[in-house]
Amino acid sequence: MLPVVLPGWLRRSVWLGLLPAVALLVLLIAPLGRLVLAGWAGDVSLPGAAATEAWSLGSPWQDDYLRWRVLWSLAQAGITCVLALALGLPLAWVLARFQFAGRTLVLRLLMLPFVVPTLVAALGVLALWGPRGVLSGWLGVNLHNTPWLLLYGNLFFNLCLVVRAGVDALGQVNARQVAAARSLGATPWRAFWRVEWPSIAPWLMSSLCLVFLYCFAGFGLALVLGGQRYATVEVEIYTLVAHELQLGQASVLALWMLLLTGTVALVYALLEKRLAAPARVEPIARRPPHGMAQWLALLAALGVLFVICALPVLAIVWRALDAGWATWVTVLDAEVRGALWNTLRFSALALAAATLLGVLHALAAERSVPWRAAAFLPFVVSPVTVAFGLLLLYPSWTASLPLLLAAYAVLAYPFVAKSLSAGLDSLPPHVLHAARTLGASPQRTFWRVTLPLLRPALRRGMAFAAATALCEFAVTLFLSRPEWATLTTLIYQRLGHPGASSLDQAMVLACLLMLLALLAFLLIEWPAADHHDRRRSPASAVAVGAFLHA
Amino acid sequence: MNRRLFTLAATALAAFSLSTQARAADELRVMVHSSFSLPKPLLAQFEAQNGIRLAIIKGGDAGEMLNKLILTRAQPIADVVFGIDNTLVGKALAAGVLEPALPQTADAPDANLGAALAAVDYGFVTLNYDKAAVAKSGISLPKTLQDLTLPAYKNWLVTPNPATSSTGYAFMLATISAMGEEPAFAWWAQMRGNGLKVVKGWSEAYYTDFARNKGAYPLVVSYATSPAAEVFYSKEKTPESPTASLNLKGGVFRQVEGVGLVKGGGQRAVALKFVDFLRSAPVQEALQTAMWMYPVQAKTPLAEVMRHAAEPTEFEAPATQVVAGKGAQWVARWTKVVLK
Repeated sequence: MLPVVLPGWLRRSVWLGLLPAVALLVLLIAPLGRLVLAGWAGDVSLPGAAATEAWSLGSPWQDDYLRWRVLWSLAQAGITCVLALALGLPLAWVLARFQFAGRTLVLRLLMLPFVVPTLVAALGVLALWGPRGVLSGWLGVNLHNTPWLLLYGNLFFNLCLVVRAGVDALGQVNARQVAAARSLGATPWRAFWRVEWPSIAPWLMSSLCLVFLYCFAGFGLALVLGGQRYATVEVEIYTLVAHELQLGQASVLALWMLLLTGTVALVYALLEKRLAAPARVEPIARRPPHGMAQWLALLAALGVLFVICALPVLAIVWRALDAGWATWVTVLDAEVRGALWNTLRFSALALAAATLLGVLHALAAERSVPWRAAAFLPFVVSPVTVAFGLLLLYPSWTASLPLLLAAYAVLAYPFVAKSLSAGLDSLPPHVLHAARTLGASPQRTFWRVTLPLLRPALRRGMAFAAATALCEFAVTLFLSRPEWATLTTLIYQRLGHPGASSLDQAMVLACLLMLLALLAFLLIEWPAADHHDRRRSPASAVAVGAFLHA
Repeated sequence: MNRRLFTLAATALAAFSLSTQARAADELRVMVHSSFSLPKPLLAQFEAQNGIRLAIIKGGDAGEMLNKLILTRAQPIADVVFGIDNTLVGKALAAGVLEPALPQTADAPDANLGAALAAVDYGFVTLNYDKAAVAKSGISLPKTLQDLTLPAYKNWLVTPNPATSSTGYAFMLATISAMGEEPAFAWWAQMRGNGLKVVKGWSEAYYTDFARNKGAYPLVVSYATSPAAEVFYSKEKTPESPTASLNLKGGVFRQVEGVGLVKGGGQRAVALKFVDFLRSAPVQEALQTAMWMYPVQAKTPLAEVMRHAAEPTEFEAPATQVVAGKGAQWVARWTKVVLK
């Protein structure tokens, strides 16, 4: 019992928020604080980790090798942004303005890359362009050891994000303004630049911020596709910890990552704030393409989408089927069955915990802006950084199941919280009032009215949380015991033995994992998708993208 | 309804997964590196004789495996560890992850592993070449490591990164041990200029970039036994190996792998039996064609196929104390010289 009578909402949010707050504090903020301390004071003591040379806060900038890592990480993120915008804007325009058979399907398929685990995507890119890849064989080009593999992988994930944001943003453009510009004599080109572009630019910029964030803090793709030269800072941190045990240097790098990603996240938050809720506008009507040029534009757009977003997935399926029945049979050995079981039970437990945390957080954050912002925290921090911080802070808990699952849950629960927050915002208040007026207790109103209304939002959030847990890779690599191998870590292991048969096995496993992620997603999300899609604003589309990437 | 079902399922799953969590009392946890392999019947026999179940935990590359033991030493993840070699033993001892002394290792040969580990096998990290690729190039093989820096051998050698691969690490130690630190790093710098390719691990170097496996590099840092393995695994009956070792001065490292008890681990009695088991005649014989190492017990008969793998007579084997003291610095310096 609280000694003083607090206003109802405060009391509620305090109690509801207690659990998520503790989770964030213990599993995110404290480890980051430990990391900052380690990076700042050089306070990392581990027997056996022989000190090499002095490192300081400035060493990533003084050392040529580390500077190259940081600069390349920034550069590849920047290049991906430019490419994603250059390709994504025309694609979005075509999808937003033309009406054609299968348009809804294409829009829905744009979500597909989001449920593909990063590791699987990396394998898909390798299956296409890697050594002995499908396309590199036909075309006789070898992209291995070039930056293109990583950039292609980045685009696979992020092009869809930009296109999705672009399509939604273009749907908010006021048809009357464009019509007015045109009737005043503006060419379509001029009308685009003077009317449409200014109104969609903020949406695109905000999605590009996210693209930058993901690419910069990317781990899985860079680990597999970057090779020795084009790996990112996150991969360097992982190598320093797992292979070289240079915790001091790793924590300095992690500190810089935190600073840089924090800055980008701040820019993103500022941009988001400027994006007011869209007013009701009359959208520009979609027309079927007519004339050679418009059909060509449509075909070209679909072609580009196919090559970048569908081909890697198809390549994996093709390679997995090509591996032959024998591989499929042998692949299901005890080790794989164990990994499958681990993946399923870790994901289920993490999903349960994430749902609990997410629901509590969303309810607590109903009227509190800082709380809403707090749900973004796990997105901003890269999984590698979190895992490393946990490792430093709780050495006696490393390789313990509760810590691993808690880390999974903290990384996954913001999906539930964000989705539910959006759902709470759109709750019609009069229904709740009616229930209370008719004599339902607050508890009864919650269980019988609020919760059923929130079900679609909850499902969506859980779907993304489930996909996150299934695809989790970075934290597992850091905190897991070897015998707790999940499908992702097993794929990575098989990839480390690239004899032809191991590669085939990795492809089959990747196919399996992709199916699993898709299945979980469909099971939880599909029934809710239909009536949710219609009420989605661009902001939520971008946020959905954010979910999927983490 | 939905809610109740969900709660029920979650609770059941939680209970079930936590119950499988509890470690069986009749289980011996053996940490090994990713190249560990022994015939299943042998392991099954050990299990039957000792009434125990073996949980073989693969911890990645040997260096990575040791780091895992160090990072988790507060809650040891294994009872026994196999695969710590003469390049890593110093680090393992300094980190205190091994029981300092095994009771009965008096008969260990010149293994150079100290009291905490019992030697099990040894092998040689050395260069391998693809006979077909070398013949096709029309250039004779290099006679010294210095030859490899000549323009004729540009883009010939692929090596695993010493920071992430114990094979690469051993090769780097051999060059430093033979040439001395400064000349060795000067050589590495020249090699970098001559198109040296660096990859993450041995398997990537051997299976992706080595000319034998459709890669572009005629020379690879590998093992003296690899040519025998080529014959052993080849589908057609090949009278001779398509590859061979190229033992150059300063390019051969003798690696001795041992088994030891993890500090804080359990099952001591059975763990010691497992140590003996790895050094017993059947395992010593089997490991040759399972892990492609030489048996440490001299009386073990050599596998027939091993005649394709000549044992190098000259090799480097630097003192473990020196390696433990300077290894990390050397890796850092190597990264700077070759990769930066």
